[in-house]
Amino acid sequence: MTMTRLALSGLRHRTGAFVATFLSAALGAAILMTFASMIDTAGGAEVDAASSESLITMASVAGGWCLLIVVVAVSSTMTLSVRQREIEMGVLRNAGATPGQLRRMVAGESVAVALVAAAVAVPIALLLGRVLLGLLQDTGQVAESVGYVFGSAALGMGFGVTAAGSLFGALLAARRACSAPPRSAVSSRAVSSSRRHRLRRPGPGRVVAALFFLAAGVGCGVVTATVMKGKGIDAMQTAGQASIWFAVGLALLAPWLLRLVAAVLPVRLLFGVAGDLAATNVRRQATQMSGAVMPVILFVGITTATVYMQAIDDEAAAGLVRLDFERNIQTLNYVVVGMIALFVAIMLVNTLLAATSYRRGEFARQRLAGATPGQVLAMVVAESLLLIVTGVVSGTVASLVTVLPFGIARVDDPLPALSASPYLMIVGVAVVLTFAAALGATRRAVAGRAVDAVRA
Amino acid sequence: MADAVRLEALRRVYDETGSAVTALDGVTAGFGPGTFTAVMGPSGSGKSTLLQCAAGLDRPTSGRVFIDGTELTATREAVMTRFRRRRVGFVFQDFNLMPALTVEQNVLLPLRLAGRRADPARTREVLGTLGLTDRLGHRPAQLSGGQRQRVAIARALITDPAVIFADEPTGALDTHSARDVLDRLRAAVRDFGRTVVMVTHDPVAAAYADAVLFLADGRIAGRMDRPTADAVAQRLAHLADTPRLVAGAA
Repeated sequence: MTMTRLALSGLRHRTGAFVATFLSAALGAAILMTFASMIDTAGGAEVDAASSESLITMASVAGGWCLLIVVVAVSSTMTLSVRQREIEMGVLRNAGATPGQLRRMVAGESVAVALVAAAVAVPIALLLGRVLLGLLQDTGQVAESVGYVFGSAALGMGFGVTAAGSLFGALLAARRACSAPPRSAVSSRAVSSSRRHRLRRPGPGRVVAALFFLAAGVGCGVVTATVMKGKGIDAMQTAGQASIWFAVGLALLAPWLLRLVAAVLPVRLLFGVAGDLAATNVRRQATQMSGAVMPVILFVGITTATVYMQAIDDEAAAGLVRLDFERNIQTLNYVVVGMIALFVAIMLVNTLLAATSYRRGEFARQRLAGATPGQVLAMVVAESLLLIVTGVVSGTVASLVTVLPFGIARVDDPLPALSASPYLMIVGVAVVLTFAAALGATRRAVAGRAVDAVRA
Repeated sequence: MADAVRLEALRRVYDETGSAVTALDGVTAGFGPGTFTAVMGPSGSGKSTLLQCAAGLDRPTSGRVFIDGTELTATREAVMTRFRRRRVGFVFQDFNLMPALTVEQNVLLPLRLAGRRADPARTREVLGTLGLTDRLGHRPAQLSGGQRQRVAIARALITDPAVIFADEPTGALDTHSARDVLDRLRAAVRDFGRTVVMVTHDPVAAAYADAVLFLADGRIAGRMDRPTADAVAQRLAHLADTPRLVAGAA
């Protein structure tokens, strides 16, 4: 009871800190409810069997992919926001709060944020759901007579999954925050960030999870290239998932991939002392830094895979008259990839803004040691470069898990000659978003006086 | 000989909330080279503002600051930073070390940021004087508060600055570590000819200095040479009792 009240007052007083979590939860809930409302619509009165089947397929296939991504995204943003409050939690523990009470506080906050976010998402989902139904009707897959229903499935998915994902991420982060003795959590502002998660070897749970996702991805790829070979457009069902599984698997290993890239890329040569500091930060704080790598991997991996899968299919069908069904799938692919891309892009910007403004104190200390604002910016540029290279390389590898098998299945050629421009555009968007968000937040963080910011 | 730091008619008015607050109200003072001066006063007397303006961390509303004979006129942050890192060293209450860097990297950071090469003999000397030779590879989190402050002092000394500003350097330390840190600041003055200006509220700490400058309501309220803790405490008590002259009105 006490902790619930504490949690709610925490929400009231630090609204700013919740914006990032809130945004990702709201967007995630909107996307989930959009697809889940297709199930409600299918259950409506006077829906013929064919329409119903199309709607259910849409909800389960496309919605299923989104489910995975939304859970990962929401829980990772929540993890970030809880970790940033380790000092506050240390203070509470010194004041006599037990780890159990803190966990309840964090759980209460995360569920409250998720539920409010899902509520805000309802009107957005209503609108998107209508657009999606209209699209299905325009392409003739669902009868024009079917009316839009937004009901229990949409609400249940939207509220339930968002709250569960958020709760999961919060508890995962709180477990770490509560495990250290409280004295160390508050002993000094100046050292708090070094004790935060020194990078250890990946824990067995993470390795198993990562291997599972990577294996699932490769499995889907192999099935696509063998079982689905010659089955035409149906191969998309397995091919499309492959890169998503694989990208999530790589995202789980992001801190170690980031360190690997930092060891290989000569940022020290390119950026001098700023590059040296960036490399040190990435090495020492890979876990925090890698928060932004995950969205880049998902963004590049999933968009590239879907766009090229569709391009290969278009090539296979060149000269043939396309069926309604096939055109439908094409539209569907672009809708889904558009939604995922938008969601992941917002998550990327979100994560970078939150993580960078959290480093205000660190930047200020650096300035007091003699760094000019320009040198701090140069360091962030070097770090962003490491992030983006890690994300783009991993994302590209993940996309190949879809593209190569689908090429074999559909046109008997793992790498048919296709235009490189969509890929370059995807990478360009990722690069621009990363640098714009990181540099924008850094510029703001170094704008004031260093002596004030260092106390922040 | 010219003063290491010279302040002329320094005024600093904060006007962030709409109602102006005068933190410094026309302070003129000089700090000779090779001296150790403590700046004291009741809270709100402007001592931290004085230090920040003198060190180029804040810009005065009016008045002039000279360090080592050169006037601080820059308004752009990057130019101010270059000015500071050539002439000024800092020691803060919260140490302000970079947690990701080792002791050695922290100490050498100002030189590297300035694009200067570290002289190995000089580096060894500074680290040796401060008893850090066997801690070079440690991170700040692995050190005690007193050790961290010694790292901060080494970092301030490494660039051979004209003046070292210390803002409550013992504020976060126990008595024993505090004494050690003060001894080392005094040694920097006595053995290396450094100039140190230290803001403190602790009369015992102030007694380590050659002289104490008292501030009240943003103005110089007196000076004491060869201070003792008792004399400083008495003077402070007197300053705190004196009714404030229209404090904050401007």
